[in-house]
Amino acid sequence: MHDLTEMLKGTLEGCVLEIIRSEETYGYAITRRLNELGFADVVEGTVYTILLRLEKNGLVQVTKRPSGVGPPRKFYALNDAGRDELATFWAKWEYVTSRIDKLKEGGR
Amino acid sequence: MNFWEAMTGSDLTREWKAFEARAEALPADYRAAWEEIKGHLFPYGDFTGRNLMPILDGALGLLEETASDGQSIHDVLGDDIAGFCAALAGGEGARSHRDRWREQLNRNVARKLGRLGG
Repeated sequence: MHDLTEMLKGTLEGCVLEIIRSEETYGYAITRRLNELGFADVVEGTVYTILLRLEKNGLVQVTKRPSGVGPPRKFYALNDAGRDELATFWAKWEYVTSRIDKLKEGGR
Repeated sequence: MNFWEAMTGSDLTREWKAFEARAEALPADYRAAWEEIKGHLFPYGDFTGRNLMPILDGALGLLEETASDGQSIHDVLGDDIAGFCAALAGGEGARSHRDRWREQLNRNVARKLGRLGG
C-alpha cells in the first residue's frame, strides 16, 4: 500500500522500537523488515532520522561494529527507558485503535 | 577546539575539507545527493555553521554505509531530500536563521499591532 507516509508519522518510531526489541539490529535491516511488512515507501533515510532521535532521547544503546565491507555499522539495542517507551507506545496504540474501530462501527 | 580555532574557524575549514574528500569517494548519484543535502541543510545553520558539522558527518556516514551496501540512492533517501534534511536538523534541535527571522518578524508585527491598539 502506498501513500501511507502521513498516516505512519508518529507510529513509525514505535514500529522501529518494536523491531529493535526482538534483537539488536542496524538501519538497513530495520528498513528491510518494514518493507517486508508492506511499508514499501519507508526508505533508509527515514529510519536513520528515527534512530538519531531514539539515540538522542536515550532510548537505545548504540554499538559500533566493523562490517564486511565499508565503514563500521551502528547496531541498536533497547535499554530500560526504551522498553518503557515501547510499552507506552503499545498502550497508546490500543487506545487509538479501539476508539477508531468504535467510530467505524458506528458506536459512540 | 581551542581558542584559535574558535576565533578563526580553522577547525571548520579542516573538517569541511575532510567531508569533501569523503564525498569524492562516493558514487556519482550519491555525490549529487550530497550536494543537495548540503543545500537543504544550510538554512538550518547557525552563524558559523558549526552546529551543522555533526549533522553533516552523520549524513555522510549514512551515504557511505549505504553506498557500500550497493543500495541505490533512491532506496536510501526516496523522493523527499528536503524532508529528510528537515528531520535531520530537527532531530538535532538545530535552530536556524529562518526560525530567528520568523521570531523577529512575529515580534515586530506584534509590537506594531500593539502600538495601533489592535
